[in-house]
Order: sequence, then structure tokens, then C-alpha cells
Amino acid sequence: MVLSTVLRAKTDKHVGMGQIALGCGHTRLTAVLGSCVAVTMHSPKHQIGILAHVILAQSSGRNSPPGKFADTAIPEMLRMMENAQVPKSEIIARLAGGANIFGRTGPLQIGKANIEAITELLEEAGIPVKAQDVGGNKGRRVSLDCQTGSLTIEMAGSPARVLQ
Amino acid sequence: MMNEMCTTPGQLELLYQLFASATHDASAVMCRWTNGLITLSLDEVREIPLESVCSEVDVEDELLTMVVLCLEGEIGGEMILTFDNTNGRQLAAALLGQEVGTSDEWSDLEKSALTETGNILGCAYMNALTRLINTELMPSAPYFVQDYGASVLQQALMTQAMTSDQALICRTGFHREGEEVNWRVFFVPTMEMRSAMERALSTASLKKAAHPQDSSERKECVPDGQHDEGSQNDAH
Repeated sequence: MVLSTVLRAKTDKHVGMGQIALGCGHTRLTAVLGSCVAVTMHSPKHQIGILAHVILAQSSGRNSPPGKFADTAIPEMLRMMENAQVPKSEIIARLAGGANIFGRTGPLQIGKANIEAITELLEEAGIPVKAQDVGGNKGRRVSLDCQTGSLTIEMAGSPARVLQ
Repeated sequence: MMNEMCTTPGQLELLYQLFASATHDASAVMCRWTNGLITLSLDEVREIPLESVCSEVDVEDELLTMVVLCLEGEIGGEMILTFDNTNGRQLAAALLGQEVGTSDEWSDLEKSALTETGNILGCAYMNALTRLINTELMPSAPYFVQDYGASVLQQALMTQAMTSDQALICRTGFHREGEEVNWRVFFVPTMEMRSAMERALSTASLKKAAHPQDSSERKECVPDGQHDEGSQNDAH
């Protein structure tokens, strides 16, 4: 029984701000989000998942880590999936994050801008968004199961939800 | 990489001196506010790559109780006072002269005690920054939030992230009757505040180089004529 538990244990890999990580099988990719957005892609057939911790919408040509901006993260994720032999037609996306924790009401709504940019880029790339949990004013802790593609979302004061 | 605001070791040292001075003022105020129970010390002023900032300052997926105070306007920033739940309630109880609360929900009085603590600390830091950059700062009302520490810290880092891959953070620790406790204050300046601080510090450095005989005091980075030895009283 104990041995079985050990063999089935998931390996957690934390994805920091602006990073992209790819995992397979029992790997679980985790991130903690405020206005940042976790963009996940998954191939059910290959049991490969990828998570980008996107901070801002537009790179405007700046030379930063590709995961930092939506417009550089999505192409990089697709390139990494292609390198892992995952056809684009098999990829399913899920999204979480984009909160407005400080409740600011000005014209610059970073979380909202992130979600809009990501949604548009995924649509242009022909990647369906199967589920999302975005907006609000609370942080999120997310965990992508690379085997199933399910995205578990925890928020302070709420029971965990699973986006299947 | 777009590290436009990479701070030199010399500038970091001067920033450290600035925040050490501000922390000294805040500590004096906090000591009075808590009847000698609590003091503060500056842990670090660091530039950290964005991807590792939360792990480097040890604020990750723990649910924390926080008081956030924003310095509004372009030359601004966020100050975040963090506690774990137990320590936050202990401070509130000590300030209120009550038993430590046991219900799941914080009472309005407990929230108010912590919020006022954030206000006092924020004012002490703001007074020190005002003396340095000689610009009026506009603090928001402090507010109480319970959330993942990393979520709140990341949100505070957004303005720096727009122009840099590095984050400048000032971290302060607390001591209760000499023992370190799990409370922290983070100050995250906007890029404009960083620029203003660094300009002021550059000027101070030049003055220091020109008048080395005056450089023994730690407050030398403060522009001439803006020292205020009674500054800790400004917070009230």
C-alpha cells in the first residue's frame, strides 16, 4: 500500500513569474497567481501538459523571457509542444488568474488585459479553451495535472475547484 | 533581457542606508505603539529576478494576513505588512489588551488594530522617502486582506515588471521582546519611484564624494536641508 502510494506520487514543479514549464505523466505544474494568468495546454493522448505564468499582455518587442508576455508565451508554448511531438490539433487550453487584488478602478486593468490578450491569441492560433476561472479580486493557487489535463484551483476562503 | 533598471551595488548600498534609516524611524514608532513590545530591523534591499522573487523572499503559497498601503501616483509603490494568522491575531490581541481571538472570522476591531499598525509603519516609511526625493507622496487608506502572500506580492510588482525583469524589494523583519517573529514588511516601489530614489541617491553620492569628511553619518544619502531628527513623530 505504501509502495503503491510512492509510485503514484505526483512530482510538483513550481512555475515562477514569467516562466514556462512542460511536464508529462505524473508531473504536476503549480503556480500562485494574482493578476498574472496561468495558461495551460494539454494533450490528452500524449499526457503532456505545459503551463505559462504570464505577467503582462504585450511585449512590444522587448527582449524578456518569453513566458512573461502573452504575445510571446503562446507561440513559445506551441513551439515547445511541437518539439514534444504534440500535434496542434490535439491541444486543449485552460486558463486561470487575472484577478484585481487591489481593487483598482483605473484604465489599466492588468488582469483583464491579460485575459483578453490570451483569449484572442489562442483563438488566432486555433486552440480551444475548454475551461477557465478568471477575474475576481482573490489570488489563486493552481495545479495542472499533466496526465489528465485537469486544473485544480484553490482560493482563500473557498473550496478547491477542478476545471476538467 | 530588459534589465533597464539594474541597480548598481553602490546604489543598492545607498538604498539600504535609506531604508535602514526609515526602518529605524518605523521601529521607534512601533515600539511606542506597542508599549515596547515590538521592534523592527531591515533584513534586505535586493534586486531579484521576477521568476524567483517570491521564493527568494520566502512568500509563496502560504495564506497570509496582510495590510496593504499604496503610495498613489506615478512616484509611488506598495507597502505590504504580512503576518501568518496566529501572529497577526497575537499582535491584534496585544494592541487591544484582549485574549487572542479564536473564531474563524477576524473581528472588525482586530482588523482595525492591524490596519492602524500598517498605517503607522507606512507613514514612517513615507516620511523617510519624502525627505529623500523631496516629493509629496499620496498614501491610500490601508486595507486588510487575507490571501496567498505570493498573489499580493506579485500584484505589487506589476509596475516594475512593465519595464524590468528584476524586482527591487525592501524587506523588514520584526522582533517581539528580542525574539524574531514571522511578520514582514515589504516595500515595492514603482519604476518612477525607483528612478526618483536613484536620482536622489546619485546626487547624494556626488555630494558625499565632494565632501568625504561629512560622510560618517548613515543619513548622508538624504539631500541637504531635509534631515529631520524628530521624524519618527511625523507618523502620527
